[in-house]
Amino acid sequence: MGIHDRARSLLGLFLATALLVAGPSPGAAQAQATGTIQGKVTDAGTARPIAGAQISIVGTQRGVLTNQTGDFQIAGMLPGEHRVRVQYLGYATSETQVRVTAGGSTRADVQLTQAAIDLQGVVVTALGQTSQQRALGTAQQTIQGVDIAQTQRENFVNALSGRIAGVEVNSSSGVPGASTSIVIRGVSSISGSNQPLMIIDGLPVDNKTVSTAVMASDMGGSTTGLSNRGVDFTNRASDFNPEDIETLTVLKGPEAAALYGIDAANGAIVITTKRGKAGTGGFEYSNSFRIESTRGRPETQQVYGPSSVGSTTFLYYGTPYPDGTKFYDNVDGFFQTALTQKHNLAFSGATSDSKLSYRVSASSTQQEGVIPGSMYDRINVTGSSRGEVTDWLTADVSMQYSTDANDQPFKGASGPLIGLLVWPDTINAKDYLTPAGARRRITSLSLSSEVDNPYFSTTKNINTSRTNRINVNFGLSLTPYSWGYLKTNIGVDNYSSKLQILRHPESALGYSVNGVLDETDDLTRNINAQTILNFNRRPITDDIGISGFVGHQVSDSRSTYTSLKGQDFLDPQFVSINNTASRTSLTTIRERRLVSAFAQAVVDYRYWLYLTLSGRNDWTSTIPKGANSFFYPSVSGSFVFSDAIPSVGRFMTGKLRAAWAEVGKDARPYAYRPSLEYKATSYGGYGYGFTGPNLGLKPEFARSYEIGTELGFFDNRLGVDATYYRKQTRDQIVNDIRGSYATGFILFNLNGAKTRNEGVEITLRGTPIERPDFSWDVLANFTRARGTVISLPAELPESYNADTWLYGNVRNGTKPGLSTMSLTGYFYLRVDSAQGGHKGDLLIDPTTGLPLRSSLFIDGGYDRQPDFLIGVTNRLQYKRWSVDFLVDIRKGGDVFNGTEHYLTARGLSPRTLDREQPRVVKGVLRDGKHNSANPTINTIVVTPAVQTNYYTGISEELFIEKDINWLRFRDVTLRYTFPDGFLAANRASVYVTATDLFLLTNYSGMDPIVNGNTAAVGGSSGIGIDYGNFAMPRGLNFGFSLGF
Amino acid sequence: MTTLKRCIGAAALVVAATLSAGCEDFLDVNTNPNAPETASANLYLPPMIHWMVSSPQWDGRFVGRYTQQWVLAGTSLSTWDRMGYDPGSDNGAQQWRDVYWSFGQNLVDMMTKAEAEERWDVLGVGYLLKAWGWQVLTDLHGEIIVKEAINQNTFSFNYDTQEYAYQEVKALLDKGIEYLQRTDGAVDASYLARGDKMYNGDRTKWLKFAYGLLAIHLNHYSNKATYKPDDVIAAVDKSFASNADDAILAFPAIVNDDRNFYGYTRGNMPSYRQTQFVVGLMDGTQFGGAVDPRMSRMLSPAPDGVYRGLDINVVGYGALTTNQRPNNIWGYAATPAAGSATRYIFDDKSKFPAMTYAQLQFVKAEAAYRKGDMATARAAYLAGVRAHMDFVNARNMDAGGTPTQITAAEKDAFLASPAIAPAQVTLSHIMCQKYIAQWGWGHNEIWMDMRRHHYTDMDPVSGTQVFRGFAPPTNLYPDNGAKIVQRIRPRYNSEYVWNRPGLDAVGGLALDYHTKPLWITER
Repeated sequence: MGIHDRARSLLGLFLATALLVAGPSPGAAQAQATGTIQGKVTDAGTARPIAGAQISIVGTQRGVLTNQTGDFQIAGMLPGEHRVRVQYLGYATSETQVRVTAGGSTRADVQLTQAAIDLQGVVVTALGQTSQQRALGTAQQTIQGVDIAQTQRENFVNALSGRIAGVEVNSSSGVPGASTSIVIRGVSSISGSNQPLMIIDGLPVDNKTVSTAVMASDMGGSTTGLSNRGVDFTNRASDFNPEDIETLTVLKGPEAAALYGIDAANGAIVITTKRGKAGTGGFEYSNSFRIESTRGRPETQQVYGPSSVGSTTFLYYGTPYPDGTKFYDNVDGFFQTALTQKHNLAFSGATSDSKLSYRVSASSTQQEGVIPGSMYDRINVTGSSRGEVTDWLTADVSMQYSTDANDQPFKGASGPLIGLLVWPDTINAKDYLTPAGARRRITSLSLSSEVDNPYFSTTKNINTSRTNRINVNFGLSLTPYSWGYLKTNIGVDNYSSKLQILRHPESALGYSVNGVLDETDDLTRNINAQTILNFNRRPITDDIGISGFVGHQVSDSRSTYTSLKGQDFLDPQFVSINNTASRTSLTTIRERRLVSAFAQAVVDYRYWLYLTLSGRNDWTSTIPKGANSFFYPSVSGSFVFSDAIPSVGRFMTGKLRAAWAEVGKDARPYAYRPSLEYKATSYGGYGYGFTGPNLGLKPEFARSYEIGTELGFFDNRLGVDATYYRKQTRDQIVNDIRGSYATGFILFNLNGAKTRNEGVEITLRGTPIERPDFSWDVLANFTRARGTVISLPAELPESYNADTWLYGNVRNGTKPGLSTMSLTGYFYLRVDSAQGGHKGDLLIDPTTGLPLRSSLFIDGGYDRQPDFLIGVTNRLQYKRWSVDFLVDIRKGGDVFNGTEHYLTARGLSPRTLDREQPRVVKGVLRDGKHNSANPTINTIVVTPAVQTNYYTGISEELFIEKDINWLRFRDVTLRYTFPDGFLAANRASVYVTATDLFLLTNYSGMDPIVNGNTAAVGGSSGIGIDYGNFAMPRGLNFGFSLGF
Repeated sequence: MTTLKRCIGAAALVVAATLSAGCEDFLDVNTNPNAPETASANLYLPPMIHWMVSSPQWDGRFVGRYTQQWVLAGTSLSTWDRMGYDPGSDNGAQQWRDVYWSFGQNLVDMMTKAEAEERWDVLGVGYLLKAWGWQVLTDLHGEIIVKEAINQNTFSFNYDTQEYAYQEVKALLDKGIEYLQRTDGAVDASYLARGDKMYNGDRTKWLKFAYGLLAIHLNHYSNKATYKPDDVIAAVDKSFASNADDAILAFPAIVNDDRNFYGYTRGNMPSYRQTQFVVGLMDGTQFGGAVDPRMSRMLSPAPDGVYRGLDINVVGYGALTTNQRPNNIWGYAATPAAGSATRYIFDDKSKFPAMTYAQLQFVKAEAAYRKGDMATARAAYLAGVRAHMDFVNARNMDAGGTPTQITAAEKDAFLASPAIAPAQVTLSHIMCQKYIAQWGWGHNEIWMDMRRHHYTDMDPVSGTQVFRGFAPPTNLYPDNGAKIVQRIRPRYNSEYVWNRPGLDAVGGLALDYHTKPLWITER
């Protein structure tokens, strides 16, 4: 059966189920005299209407949503007592008793209070289910879409930093469209992805960052690979419009996410998009204009000139510049002031009875980068509609289309920053072309050895991507009986990306092969279907009730990459594969299928004690048959002690929770059997790739527990949520771990690593001031996450990702006992005996007087994990003015400043200005006596100006900056809201938002938020490896929004 | 409502039935669609033959410096020119990679298939490749992993002695010869030719190649009491009969990987220059003024037209003026522009040998010499020199090289010179001419020749060194402890990182491990 047949039969099955169920309609006509309930739902704090709140009548199937003005009406109610329940995400649920009379209309106005840590609040949990906060035994945290949107980040993932405890966001650089990775509760997988599952409206969506491994230029044996460090591509979550997000919930640990299965072992991000709200319909328009400028620059010296002009690779160990030398400020003229504009337009509405609602939105973003030529443009068109077909059937469909265009400069060693820094200040870098239009040379080195002029690099080297994406999610909700309902969704996530990378024939990267052009098409099609049968709470006794659900899910993810590489350009300026003399191609297909069944039961006792049990079984295609079916359970409990013990409840609300879960994880596709690859050596033929077999590959398991508490004081004006967790992964699959070649292979995918993660998350929420005119809300998130490697498979000594070995001899290597974010390198050799009292001192080469370096990758005690993170959000509201700001603090964690090492080795860093000064490196000579009681203390005098090796061969170790802290003003928004009716609008406001306004840090480089790789690299990737990376720019946004 | 209930019940059943029946099929998508997991036996051959010819070139950059074929002219003396090595680097261990990985499981699979399908010719070639692999690897590295090799169920490997490796090579060659003699079963030249562009599927040429490998193998025992020159001679006689039998591979030169590794497009050799030692062997210095006509066809002149070699003990070009500096192996001062004509075997498309008739004639000459059969020794020696002159002509012809052809008159005149062809040829004549015939390609065998003669052994007859004019570097690499290099350390990223206990057991972690003499060269 082909793929299409398979997909078709899935769809068929789905429709058949739906039709069968939809067949007859239960007649509900009642010929009795009835009454009406109507009312208005408002926010208790601001008194503003709440649209879209869910009104239900307890014990019946009746329900509506409030309209734009917060009003609702339910007609046809039997006379008598009814309980009106009002629920809205982020607010405490309210219940009101009303009496309906025949032919009469009863009013039930409801004021909802925002749930700080209100245990009555309704929250989204796994699988699109909702639950009351009080019943949850696990940690999760929600933020409102509006808080995300108002940061004006193009990539909403960047807005999450500091807003949620336990979440660490790492953007690769400050370039538009740079990929961003998100890690919840620390790095646990040594080589695989540590990113959470992204769920939108109940179904998974793809957040991939394309790996260069699918490109023809990175094929095995190729000398033109960019290895996820020379270029970057956007992570696909960036395709979604932040303006479409209603709420975003982070399920932090395996306990919360266990029901999502193997892809949620690192947590899940659950997004609910906006839906039309009851009322007569209306539209909203908002915009944003942003000005961005770059932040700082690395310092370079202007005292000593190049060693020998014209024939060096920009080494600055020459004679001092003569007085009166004319210098150009090549750096300052390079960066531009970048302009960004965004326009959002949304129409939404619903029929008065809320049986049909719709929302259509369109958004356009045009972002310029501060690096010339860089940009990110996106257009989103979204539509959603929900209809109550009958009393017992609701259909919901949402679609989103996005198209984006992203131009980025190259990155790292091949990017423009390095060229910008080493370009001689005596030569105007802007003058980068000869009169004939060719690359202007300033040395006699070969073109490939002369670093590219930054202007040449940004103009002539190209890295572009163009993506079109369609996401469709169709859901049916059936409520045939009072005891439960069936919810079934099918979603298709489909996109095509066209990636083009040009290394110009005259560029340093392209010269040796006379230009390289890569064209890669990524066609991705993911289908997910999920059906859940819910059982409403059923009382067993007066005190005990049980509810639950069973469900199953099928998913099929498939990406097909077609990549062409052309090299040897005929016309050096014409960009087309057709213009190249030598072409290679590579196609890559990656497919994974997953079938799952799951169930959950919740037992409650007097509404203050809850026990939740769940189980899930996955069948995955990526693990050999026999081991590919695996079951894992979770159990969690919640104890609302403030309700159980009324004397406590008078002073506070409080809950204790605990959870334990196990979650399995599969391998990447095709990981267990080696396959042959076409060899480009003489006369073709087949041979194995680097990776050897592992026919016994089995799933890995993470076992995790967490305990926590939620406390509320002073009517919930002060809230605390604290969690401690500990997760241990066993049989962890380590991809691409090396072994002796005597195996017949070079790399293996092996089970057998063990890692442990533990940490603490604390959220404090307070409302110090709450007056009608003035209020102040504070939310502080504290995160401490530590990951440790306990063992590696087959007692192999080290695991690392070769892509992270991107500068000098430092890489993300880890070994048993080290942090999951350690670094290994050719660090200095040191005295290892305590005998002579010199333990730890540097070993010095007796002939040169310079320190000796290891020729093995060794541990130097470096760890990129921060000690803790704190994010503080403040919201101040004074009459119609409001200020929101987020301060992001990090303590500890090492960052490798490769850029500064490069500048030092080249003699450009100001620290090399002391080169004339003779010095003795403190240490002990390696003369055989170094580990004895009487080592020889080094007395050899070195003058770096003469022995330039002092700086050119300096160890990278000295540039791994320990314990980097920062305080970062992530974003601040000042907003003024006009009175209703201003410009005939319902809601009109103007705002100013500043992003990344300032940064206080002890890091000597430009920005400690850095990833030398892209988000495509697994494990701890190149986070904290800074080489030739552009910092996050400073931005100032302003704009207005109107609602009609 | 009951209808509805029944419908839901039916639907649930349909779903359940479809799932249980279809699940296994549905999940069966883990067969890699990007490449096959297995291929027909002959398709494994091209990469292996490619690497048998090419990987000695890779390592030849380093071995060629130990053996003073060339020197890396730079701003300081290179580690390899000082008979050292590069710590923390895989330099000098390309053959380690190719024998264990490029051959490795591929060779096992090919031979298993060939045996099952009774393709005795393919199986025979497999045995030869296997034997060749262990032979070059033990000659380069001494102790290697043989018995436990190619096993994906363990990650620690014990080393075997060189003596064992030699026995294994002999056994494999015997097997290879046995199978290559067979014509029954599914022996099929056209099938073999699909993967064999060296001999185009010709089983009889592979058989000659097998005897050539055997001759070289047996001849390495020259320091051992068990050395049997007659067996060596017999093997040579069954091997190549002329240059037409040479094991030689052409390079399509379409992409990077299928170009001659020494060709200028790959850019690996721009800073290498010929040494004083090799120039001394050819410009008459060591052989009574007889200027070898091959010199101007193999080596490169300086811009002033004079053939000079660099002194390996002097940094860079020393005192030579720009016009006196020898050109690179392509005949230019820098990397030439695309399309430029080059020299000898150093063009992008130059055919490159794995074994030649001339080389084997010198093996025969040495064996006969050691046996005391001076007439056979002299005849084989002369045949070797003459065949190599033809080889030089052919190579300069195949890639349109700049040098002219060596004329018949030049050949005759050279071979008539008493300094080259005395009535009684000496060991030093044989080994020096063999060196010339292998210069630039026969790195593995050149180094074995030198180590078998302990670099500076004296020729008992001529009163010169066997390798005339050779002197080890005066400034040896610090870790050597003043000893001359004898082996290359096993591949760093295979052994020094991932198999340290195994390596430690043979002393491989010692800083001077590369100076530990080989078993085969010990008397």
